[in-house]
Amino acid sequence: MPDRKSAIGSILLRSSGIILFLILWEVSSRLRWIDPYFLPRFSVVITEIVRLIADGSLVSNLAISSARAIGGLSIACLVGIPLGFAFGRWFPATAEALDPLLRIMSQVNPFLVLMASTLILGFGETTKFVVIAWVSVWPLLFYTITGVRSVDPVLVKTASSLGSSERGLLLKIIIPAALPTIFTGLRISAGITFFILVAVEMLNASSGLGYFEHNSAMNFEINSMYAGASVIILLGFFLNRFLIALERSLFAWKAPVDFLLGSVQATTRKNRWCPGRFGLAAATLIIAVLLVGGSFEINRVNTERAQSLAGEDPGKHARHLGSEVGK
Amino acid sequence: MAQNDTSKIEIKDVGRTFPLNTAASTASREFTALKNVNLSIQKGEFLAIVGPSGCGKSTLLDILAGLSKATTGEVLIDGVKVSKPDLDRGIVLQGDSLLSWRTVRKNVEFGLESKKIPKQERRAISDHYINLVGLTGFEDHYPHELSGGMKQRVALARALAYDPEILLLDEPFATVDALTRENLQNELLRIWNKTGKTIVFVTHSIEEATFLADRVAVLTANPGTIRQVVEVDLPRPRFGSDIRSTPEFGHIRHTLWQLLQHGGAHA
Repeated sequence: MPDRKSAIGSILLRSSGIILFLILWEVSSRLRWIDPYFLPRFSVVITEIVRLIADGSLVSNLAISSARAIGGLSIACLVGIPLGFAFGRWFPATAEALDPLLRIMSQVNPFLVLMASTLILGFGETTKFVVIAWVSVWPLLFYTITGVRSVDPVLVKTASSLGSSERGLLLKIIIPAALPTIFTGLRISAGITFFILVAVEMLNASSGLGYFEHNSAMNFEINSMYAGASVIILLGFFLNRFLIALERSLFAWKAPVDFLLGSVQATTRKNRWCPGRFGLAAATLIIAVLLVGGSFEINRVNTERAQSLAGEDPGKHARHLGSEVGK
Repeated sequence: MAQNDTSKIEIKDVGRTFPLNTAASTASREFTALKNVNLSIQKGEFLAIVGPSGCGKSTLLDILAGLSKATTGEVLIDGVKVSKPDLDRGIVLQGDSLLSWRTVRKNVEFGLESKKIPKQERRAISDHYINLVGLTGFEDHYPHELSGGMKQRVALARALAYDPEILLLDEPFATVDALTRENLQNELLRIWNKTGKTIVFVTHSIEEATFLADRVAVLTANPGTIRQVVEVDLPRPRFGSDIRSTPEFGHIRHTLWQLLQHGGAHA
């Protein structure tokens, strides 16, 4: 069983950095290398996370942030991927002509979009979706164009000689050949989405993980602040892992190559974790639940807040809350 | 050469020019890839086209396949002008032409799908041709799990699967090692012997052309035109025999070599 032994060894080796970091964290606080008031111990933060899960606030904010991220990303997919196909496959000349414009647009800082969007659309949820969709649409668009345009002409030629129609070419050659590249774009988009979302919620929201984090910091609830930060980091990490696993199972036909610190390791299909049909269905369900549950949660929190604000100072915040006030 | 009644493919005065994108303000310039190509290929014949790289041999094959249009002249197959790709011609192109997201079986069945052949029949046909190219047991493998030689076998099986009358092969064995190459050449002759297809085989290897073909058309570059068609009157079947070491083989090889050398000096 040398295989299993080396697998366990490799897991231990690869988590050694994390374990060392956590030990250092705990020790540096316990030995007062850093003031424990500003850096609570790891064990304290874990306890705090458990408390926040138990009182429901973490789950609520997590669902809200997830719904915003998934919603914004979905809008970006619905716009970016079809547009990328159209530019890459049917209107390459138009894409070439519009390239400078698109490149400049893609450089527009999301926080500038946030300001403009807040002025035009108010403080409501639409603004958040617009900003998220704005940042995540560009990688999707550019990667889709690249993916569609870099399909090997030999494949197109061969398929044409085998009697494929334009529709057949699109469905059986162009889409499957471009999909891995598009997925890379999606992974990049998902990564940025998450970064930007937390920042947007800090600046412009009354719910979500970013708001929770900002609020904790402003109120000097330092344990909560670290707990929230840890959850945000873990969420980003698992999102990335999930997308990598999804990529593997969708593109299992690709030569399995793992990049680890610059060295290329060819691994067999068996010792890599790939979610099967069940795994994919479960993941889809989780995403759907987060989207729907999060949307309800957003509604609930916003309505509650509107009511409480309306009670204490009618009219003052009405403009800021946008359409939610009317409900 | 005037037996037009039995010729399968008739290439008449085919020329092909490509516009050159020059920054200079002078009148638009053109690159002549092919000029005045005339050739008639008999039914069931194995014809090889040899020539240096850039002589337009792949362009000629594309025109035969209907993937590219001749600027002048025309190509007739069974007396009908070629205007688009069709399933009477199977092609194997240079390089890796397999769909990497499909298994060996699904690759072989690709042409059958556009022919709308029912699934069970497709399976029987793909079984047959996968067996013919010696890949039984690899039906469910993905291309990345195969060697270069095996991939070319799959490409061949795919081209054969919908039973075209003509096979157009563009340097199909260029990327495999010498030993695998000889194996594949033998296999191809065996398959040709069995199926009686008309084969047009483009290669840059004189040796390969001599070993495989009934006739070898020698193309020279700038502009690509047929310098001479050489008959290869070596006995058949050639597969499995050491025909390469006979003096007759050496003689034909030398003739072709001289033609290509001379063409090179010309250009």
